[in-house]
Amino acid sequence: MPPSASRARAPETVETLFFLPSWPPQIGTLTTAALVLLVALIAGEVVQRFVKLPRLIGWVLAGVVLGPSVSGVLDRVAIVDLHFVLNVAAGLVLFEFGQRSDLGWLYRNPWLAGASVLEASLAFGAVFVVLKVLGVPSVVAAFAAAIAMATSPATVLTLTRDLRASGQVTQRVELLTALDCAYAFITIGMLFAWFHAEYRGDWLLIIAHPIYLVVGSTLLALLFAGLARPLLTRLDAWGDVQRLCAFALVLIAVAVGEWLNLSSALVLLGFGACLRALDNRRRFVSLDFGPLGQIFLVLLFALSAAALDLSVALAGAVTGIGLVAARYLGKYAGVLLTSRASGLSTRKGSLVALGLMPMSAVALVFVHETVAVFPELGEQLLGVLVPALVVLEMAGPLLARFAIVHAGESTAPA
Amino acid sequence: MNPELDPPALRFAPSPALTMGVELELQLFNTRDCDLTPAASDLIDLIERQPHAGDVKPEITQSMLEVSTKIHHRHDTLVAELRAVRNTVVASADRLNVLVAGGGAHPFQHWSERRIFDKPRFHHVSSLYGYLAKQFTVFGQHIHIGCENGDDALYLLHALGRYIPHFIALAASSPYLQGIDTAFDSSRYNAILAFPLSGRAPFVLRWEGFVDYFERMHKLGVVQSIKDLYWDIRPKPEFGTVEVRVCDTPLTVDTAASLAVYAQVLARHLLSERRPMSEEIYLPYGYNRFHACRFGLNGELIDPLTGTRRTVAEDIAVTLDALEDHTAALDAQAALEPIRRMIGGAGNDASWMRKTYHASRSLPDLVFQQSERWRGRH
Repeated sequence: MPPSASRARAPETVETLFFLPSWPPQIGTLTTAALVLLVALIAGEVVQRFVKLPRLIGWVLAGVVLGPSVSGVLDRVAIVDLHFVLNVAAGLVLFEFGQRSDLGWLYRNPWLAGASVLEASLAFGAVFVVLKVLGVPSVVAAFAAAIAMATSPATVLTLTRDLRASGQVTQRVELLTALDCAYAFITIGMLFAWFHAEYRGDWLLIIAHPIYLVVGSTLLALLFAGLARPLLTRLDAWGDVQRLCAFALVLIAVAVGEWLNLSSALVLLGFGACLRALDNRRRFVSLDFGPLGQIFLVLLFALSAAALDLSVALAGAVTGIGLVAARYLGKYAGVLLTSRASGLSTRKGSLVALGLMPMSAVALVFVHETVAVFPELGEQLLGVLVPALVVLEMAGPLLARFAIVHAGESTAPA
Repeated sequence: MNPELDPPALRFAPSPALTMGVELELQLFNTRDCDLTPAASDLIDLIERQPHAGDVKPEITQSMLEVSTKIHHRHDTLVAELRAVRNTVVASADRLNVLVAGGGAHPFQHWSERRIFDKPRFHHVSSLYGYLAKQFTVFGQHIHIGCENGDDALYLLHALGRYIPHFIALAASSPYLQGIDTAFDSSRYNAILAFPLSGRAPFVLRWEGFVDYFERMHKLGVVQSIKDLYWDIRPKPEFGTVEVRVCDTPLTVDTAASLAVYAQVLARHLLSERRPMSEEIYLPYGYNRFHACRFGLNGELIDPLTGTRRTVAEDIAVTLDALEDHTAALDAQAALEPIRRMIGGAGNDASWMRKTYHASRSLPDLVFQQSERWRGRH
């Protein structure tokens, strides 16, 4: 029965049979999320056990199938309603990533800092040039290139955890991913300022906005880390209470970051990194969000995949493949040129470059933000990024897993 | 035919008496949560790129690095080489964000996640010993003492047996294992005891007799090479040495050098004394060894010949006094000073580890502090 027909039912019938359920069922946001979670979890296990692919591929597939492009169980309105889940999930992932990042390594091995700057800027440059050649407007190309610099922290985190990976390739992929994210967020901030300036002619914004973004996010991150450290130290022996409090702090930090118009991603990345730096007794080194974090991670993959418009992907296939190729070449060249100097064999250097391929959910979060501020730019950006994302949602995790396994750094039973 | 299956020629290659060499198995762990990390091959690649002191080899798992010294006559050259090797390893490890430390076992590593190093012998060991091979991620110091001939080596092997508790207690640095305080000062030793060919060598005093024993064991198919014998002390014919294998890897290279010199001085004393021996010396062997592992320097040591009972620390003090002439002859007073400090109340590395853990209540922090101590910063 179509929805309009059910609403047209005679009022007296509804009144007399008030105890019967209404039709169609009113599915709340939470129920939708639960449904997505259930399907994605099962799909993940099936994919892992029977197809021997990483679980997260199953989560992504579940999102695509439930999403508006295929079955429509999850429609656009529901995806927008669940946007907060993406924010929280991205916050949790970035916090954990920040906490894993050992920035002291850059000091002990300055070539690694060189590798990071080089691969990020080469990827940016290559993507920008290729998109320009393919006729994409400069502003769109620049935004897309900035987003393409970032490697998906959620994918890297999920893979390294599932594979129980540890070693040079894993560690370098993790560090470069964290830095890439920071570069991407800062560049996007600067591009926004540039975009504003072009429209309004106020060139002070170009300088003031990124400074506000970086300084503000760092200060807020420090504040949260300063508050979290004594609290989490006291809760050290309390097991789950400690990680639940950390979870709550992350949620609050996301909200405060948004309220202050800061990049909540930079805030959370910085929060994690500062907490690690302040943890001089290594009390929180194994802090993770357990099954609670897992719930958000699964939803992050499924919802961001559902948001991908497959018709856009087909229309922009050439641009998408061009972007993916340029991004890979830029990262590959940057990592490889510095790998010997930074103390790694060329073979492992190329594995690191493969490990940096995943690009996914977090990139989409950026696009959502852009869409909200400048609708016409957002549409064009989606047209460029969605095809690339569709390719890399599948290929990225597989390439990264290949890299970790071939470096001999996986300890998970095959 | 597999060359390993050929009967090995057990010729004892003579070496200058009382020379010494040290092998140390080191732990490699990450800076994130201080758990073991498979960094050995990357680290060795990096070290081998430059001229460096000492010899660096992979060991059975990827999270273990073995370093060894050349042959030394004196403490000062030995300790200088050990410090140079340490500095090389630490500098390279820093570039890879890997921490290096001594210690007989990792305080909280999960052995099921350790990778076996990719080299045929290790895979053989791994498939043969199953979970034991991975539980074998324990880290020891091996001390080689040069002998002029096989008979000397076997005499020294059995004569040193009485002093094994000294070495266990002085080197003990594995009180924590799999996240708990084991109550042992050296829990590493228990992992080794699980192997079928661990324990002590058979009481054979003539080199021909030993060759005969080995060949019979080989014919029975029990052993392929000397490497299959995980004894507390074993002869190493190709080096021309006896090898003391009961020590945990100490937390500093200075302690490692002192232990080697202590063995050297004892060897000089034992070889000059040359008392006749009977198998009776082994009656309290297991008891003494257990006490040294469990209680460290406070453990009880029963003298097999006189029946005297002392703590290990007291027994070391008595021994050091008796060794004074030999110590002077080898110019080893400075080398034995750290040992005197340990038995004089400073305690062994295991007690340092317990103190350090109780200060922070964080095992990852303990591991990090071990790596700082290894650098020579404590």
